[in-house]
Amino acid sequence: MKVLVPVKRVIDYNIKVRVKPDGSGPDLTSVKMSMNPFDEIAVEEAVRLKEKGVVSEIVVVSIGMPQAKDTLRTALAMGADRAILIEATTDVNQDIEPLSVAKILVHIVKDENPDLIIAGKQAIDNDANATGQMLAGLLGWGQATFASAIEIADGGALVTREIDGGLQTIRVKLPAVVTADLRLNEPRYVALPNIMKAKKKPLEERPLAALGIDIAPRLKVVRTVEPVGRSAGVRVASVDELLEKLKNEAGVL
Amino acid sequence: MYLNETQEQVRDTARSFADEVIRPAAEALDREERFPSEIYEEMAKVGLFGIGVPEELGGPGFDTLTYAVVMEELSRGYASVADQCGLVELISTLLVRHGTPVQQKMLPEVISMRRKVAYCITEAEAGTDVSGIRTTAEKDGEGWVLNGGKLWIHNAPVADTGFVLARTDKEAGNRGMSIFIVDLHANGVDRGPKEHKMGQRASQVGGLNFTDVRLGPDALLGQAGRGFHTMMSVLDKGRVGIAALAVGIAQAGLEAAVDYAGTRKQFGKHISEFQGVQWLLADMAKDIEAARLLVHSAADKIDRGQDATRSCSMAKCFAGDMAVARTADAVQVFGGSGYIRGFEVERLYRDAKITQIYEGTNQIQRMIIARELLKKGART
Repeated sequence: MKVLVPVKRVIDYNIKVRVKPDGSGPDLTSVKMSMNPFDEIAVEEAVRLKEKGVVSEIVVVSIGMPQAKDTLRTALAMGADRAILIEATTDVNQDIEPLSVAKILVHIVKDENPDLIIAGKQAIDNDANATGQMLAGLLGWGQATFASAIEIADGGALVTREIDGGLQTIRVKLPAVVTADLRLNEPRYVALPNIMKAKKKPLEERPLAALGIDIAPRLKVVRTVEPVGRSAGVRVASVDELLEKLKNEAGVL
Repeated sequence: MYLNETQEQVRDTARSFADEVIRPAAEALDREERFPSEIYEEMAKVGLFGIGVPEELGGPGFDTLTYAVVMEELSRGYASVADQCGLVELISTLLVRHGTPVQQKMLPEVISMRRKVAYCITEAEAGTDVSGIRTTAEKDGEGWVLNGGKLWIHNAPVADTGFVLARTDKEAGNRGMSIFIVDLHANGVDRGPKEHKMGQRASQVGGLNFTDVRLGPDALLGQAGRGFHTMMSVLDKGRVGIAALAVGIAQAGLEAAVDYAGTRKQFGKHISEFQGVQWLLADMAKDIEAARLLVHSAADKIDRGQDATRSCSMAKCFAGDMAVARTADAVQVFGGSGYIRGFEVERLYRDAKITQIYEGTNQIQRMIIARELLKKGART
């Protein structure tokens, strides 16, 4: 069984994000970038399925800057077998929208014929949470989003999903698209010997132009603002005063 | 930054591991003076021991610069843990360079920490002046008989195998010493009590006594009579490692000090708004960066096969002195809190001190730098 895992290179989750002075988006010049954490979970899940003997090959794909090769190397070091980079831009500020990503992935899927696609549920940069769903739609495949457990059996996948108020288990036929939620697993540390071994694994670079897909944005970012700083706390003299403030000031009761 | 993609990847792994596993455990390990087997097992799984061991011998085969990067990151978590990595690195480098194929078979055990090692040089009368050692190995048939005592040996209370420098020829001075691989569970080996140290307290340090310990013919590492030179051959790498470790301690202090200065309020504002505190932070940052660059430059010289002795001594000396001075600054930024047990900077200051002493005191490093200057000229 073959698994395809799309991975995105995003601003590192440890970095304090700053908005550009003109408000056009986050400042991405010379900040540390790394693999989207949900994609890391997706890669980890694919590797665990391979270690269980369920999966025979893991192909990772990234779409974006040439530097996304670093991200793919990390995925290879985690245990993926092969990597494909679609070179789509040289501008770090160009966010390729979910629909474009999904269309590009359709091309890859047609070449690779995977039995399963495991994707991160969303990227931590734009939080769109749409690529997996759009990809399933374009392919006409089943989808199981927000997975916190995946079990492969009888030509299908049994996926536990985190929903409001509890867990839901659904069964999807393969091939299918599964998107990984936070609690699916805890990704491993990339072992040092595997970093060396990953350098010898195949990483194929393809220009976007060959696919003939227009990635011009359909959305317009009107404004980006930093979150409002937390204001100082206040002391209340009594429980009554607390309740009064919660009702009338905070509006939470 | 000039690190390549692979070195950055390694740094990221070491950094996450240090942040998530080592640093949160450091306070308790210091307090309890405990050998953290569980952390070492995890490190072994991630491949954080034996960084330079080539792939064909079971390691990842990284260069010295990568090793220095790992040492700094681990030490940022906790210096004792980094020092274990440094010890394993030295022993595995000795085995890679001087070991017979049979001796090299122990490498997988050494870098997985299933076999704990000790590097046994220092004696009561032989610290900086190694030529003063009195431990002897006398030829006995095919093998040797070991007698003597070692002091302040890292891992002595827990180690399985010692790499012991002993005199094999009383007349031959520095050409009369040899290194032996000694089973520390063998008859005739006695372990002294564990020492209670000022800093790096999770490192287990103690003495070893050898009474008529029988050694087989395979026990000799490298050539007989060349033990001093064998030992010296890994000295440069050892110094780079300790220098990187010192940078890591200071870096942890800087991070703590910057965070604290941005939250602690006095006179109605954050103390980071006072120029007096800003200058402390600025001096810390610039000296740490300067030390780091010295370390990386020395490591790079080793990797290029250039004469690195002067650079390694400069890196070790500067980084050690810097770590002590700048962790003292970190304590200063914390004020009274920084003097209290349980605050990270208090531990960092104690942990830093030994970096001026071990792996060659900083006085010896200055002697080496001066000797190199006068012998080879002021230009490099």
